Amino acid sequence: MSANCTSAAAVSASKTKTKKKHFIGQKVKLFRASEPILSVLMWGVNHTVNELSNVPVPVMLMPDDFKAYSKIKVDNHLFNKENLPSRFKFKEYCPMVFRNLRERFGIDDQDYQNSLTRSAPLNSDSQGRFGNRFLCSYDHRFVIKTISSEDIAEMHSILKKYHQFIVECHGNTLLPQFLGMYRLTVDGVETYMVVTRNVFSHRLTVHRKYDLKGSTVSREASDKEKAKELPTFKDNDFLNEGQKLLIGDDNKKYFLEKLKRDVEFLATLKIMDYSLLVGIHDVERAEQEEMDVEGAGEEEEYENDGMGGGVLTGSFGTPPDSPGNPLNCGGFFGPGEFDPSVDVYAIKSRDGAVKKEVYFMAIIDILTHYDAKKKAAHAAKTVKHGAGAEISTVNPEQYSKRFYEFMSNILS
Amino acid sequence: MASASSIAASIASKTKTKKKHFVAQKVKLFRASDPLLSVLMWGVNHSINELSHIQIPIMLMPDDFKAYSKIKVDNHLFNKENMPSHFKFKEYCPLVFRNLRERFGIDDQEFSNSLTRSAPLNSDAQGRSGARFHTSYDKRYVIKTISSEDVAEMHNILKKYHQFIVECHGNTLLPQFLGMYRLTVDGDETYMIVTRNVFSHRLSVYKKYDLKGSTVAREASDKEKSTLPEDVPPRPKSGNVQQRLQTLRIATRFYCAMKHVRDAKELPTYKDNDFINDGQKIYIDGENKKMFLEKLRKDVEFLAQLKLMDYSLLVGIHDVERAEQEEVDSEDNEAEDDGESDGGGVGTPPDSPSNTLDSTKPLSPGEFDPSIDVYAIKSNDSAPRKEVYFMAIIDILQHYDAKKKAAHAAKTVKHGAGAEISTVNPEQYSKRFYDFITTILS
Repeated sequence: MSANCTSAAAVSASKTKTKKKHFIGQKVKLFRASEPILSVLMWGVNHTVNELSNVPVPVMLMPDDFKAYSKIKVDNHLFNKENLPSRFKFKEYCPMVFRNLRERFGIDDQDYQNSLTRSAPLNSDSQGRFGNRFLCSYDHRFVIKTISSEDIAEMHSILKKYHQFIVECHGNTLLPQFLGMYRLTVDGVETYMVVTRNVFSHRLTVHRKYDLKGSTVSREASDKEKAKELPTFKDNDFLNEGQKLLIGDDNKKYFLEKLKRDVEFLATLKIMDYSLLVGIHDVERAEQEEMDVEGAGEEEEYENDGMGGGVLTGSFGTPPDSPGNPLNCGGFFGPGEFDPSVDVYAIKSRDGAVKKEVYFMAIIDILTHYDAKKKAAHAAKTVKHGAGAEISTVNPEQYSKRFYEFMSNILS
Repeated sequence: MASASSIAASIASKTKTKKKHFVAQKVKLFRASDPLLSVLMWGVNHSINELSHIQIPIMLMPDDFKAYSKIKVDNHLFNKENMPSHFKFKEYCPLVFRNLRERFGIDDQEFSNSLTRSAPLNSDAQGRSGARFHTSYDKRYVIKTISSEDVAEMHNILKKYHQFIVECHGNTLLPQFLGMYRLTVDGDETYMIVTRNVFSHRLSVYKKYDLKGSTVAREASDKEKSTLPEDVPPRPKSGNVQQRLQTLRIATRFYCAMKHVRDAKELPTYKDNDFINDGQKIYIDGENKKMFLEKLRKDVEFLAQLKLMDYSLLVGIHDVERAEQEEVDSEDNEAEDDGESDGGGVGTPPDSPSNTLDSTKPLSPGEFDPSIDVYAIKSNDSAPRKEVYFMAIIDILQHYDAKKKAAHAAKTVKHGAGAEISTVNPEQYSKRFYDFITTILS
């Protein structure tokens, strides 16, 4: 399926001259995508959110809700073959729990649904661990990560405590905001996906990206990585460049409070090997880019990954009133401005900083359990996380302390 | 189980305050007394939603007449309140029926609302071979449980039926087929077909006839005519208990009259002989009669071509004055009125719960919206009573060849021991049918 909405959206998003409203399929959602699995994802999210709209919101979650799932199998014959495969299955894990989590994270179900269904999610060439696939909702608000069945099992193990933690901190955390977890079956192949809120902005471009763990063993970007449009740099790169995150004392205090709570929580669950994902938006550079875009006019060709390369970046020279939920179509945002209810991880650089920047920082990859790691380490001489590269001789407690120390040092 | 339908029914009968009746707006719980009905509601809701994401094609393709959509739900510890955890829902030829709904002037969203906002109601009306009936809560649609043979027959005639509807612009007395489904609950498969209600969604029918134009054993049985509630013991043959039973019957009728219980059991289906013996007449003016017979002629010719027979003309009579009286009575007895929901309409107030279409202004007695009550014909000025007639063809899925096979296989025709043996063929049947109807309209 060639003609797809992603390229159309990319092209229309980049034409900033006329401020006409971009057409996003309003009532009729065709679930058209470049791949059947994306169509099924769109169909599935649309279906499950609709189903939930007919299930009353309970006063509180029950233990059974953490073991529940909804499963649906579609078998069409000579019907609706245009955009969807004729046969597929869609399973949602713990629907009531994730609905509750969405609510606690301030995400309206209708908006969530719209983000994932109005237009096809976009591929990202940024790779997670083990080459897991990343997608981004067309409006860049949510990230969809392909995970393994072991990750699903781990999620189920931690879900109750995770939910409890979210209740206690009122959704105010740097941990990934888990919003939905699904299993898609297309052509007999099962794919597991988890949806989280995008750490980066849905609007502001990220010009530089770091994945920090607080470890120093082989923590730098490979040459191959550096060749990418938006490479993922690591601890050593950060230190060698003399990079600074100048957020000011108040922001630092507030940030570190959250971080401390979060890593303590992760340590109690014996989770480790997580990272702090850091994205830096350079305000001046973005202003320059936007002017370039407008100057170039019609001759500018935009390839699909002109949307900023990695999924975890904002869109490329996106105008303030970019296609998205009505939320940000109201006011006009100045350079370096953002809506903190949408870009929840954004922190401005402090007044008087040399460069005016916006930082996006949050914890990612929290599904590695210490026990699972040890087992894998014993079974195969090499740790499965790459030949010797990430061998941690630490335990979750130590990992969390080292992590916290490193992060508190890089902020000022 | 306290169902939304009984609540809606009791609200419907309270006519004093004109407040808006609560019809579950955004949240559809699909709550019903029977899991099968919940699955029907869920399924129709799902099917219409799916169709809303499919572009309407310029014209139907041959494949559309062979198509189906199938969905299987398997929930675990989720949504157990109103729905079974495991069920299947299959819709036959979705694009064809969507097109038919459009041609019959029915909006998909409203169709969905009628079938999903509140549970369909049981109906005592018995079709051929005891088929089960439901009506949508707003009484616009009839849901009939059919056999897999009927489903096969529908598939056979669907293309030609659709073509016929195209040609007559939806202007026909044939059943308006609006959707056909297969539901699987607890491993049992149930086939259902949805048609537009012949009778009014508002005006009550006090007398009903099923006419075929045949005179062999065409009269309502005693069981059919009996107005006794079901739990009265059957009357024995011996005479020495007659008096006691007579007293019981009188007492029960009195009780029923006091309660103003009007369910379908009190609306027996009379037949050809009853019609003639009652001296029943249909008083419609020349213009209406001409239009009606033109449609009828085209319809029965079509049916004959398809070798279909044994269909009936369903006739329902609404007595305007009688309905006005009933409404007054029901208002007086409001406090005690449980307002059971069966039947064609319990003196339904003009602003009854329904789609927004007709909730704008109340309709006066004997008035109707012809775009909803499409089969309604008013009596002419010289009629002795002011009446409204509802007349349309029903039960068209009996194919001549299938009948002959059945007749040969079993000595008795399957439609009752010798009662309905037709020695006629479809052509003859259609002529006899048409002639009979013509005479009763004079």
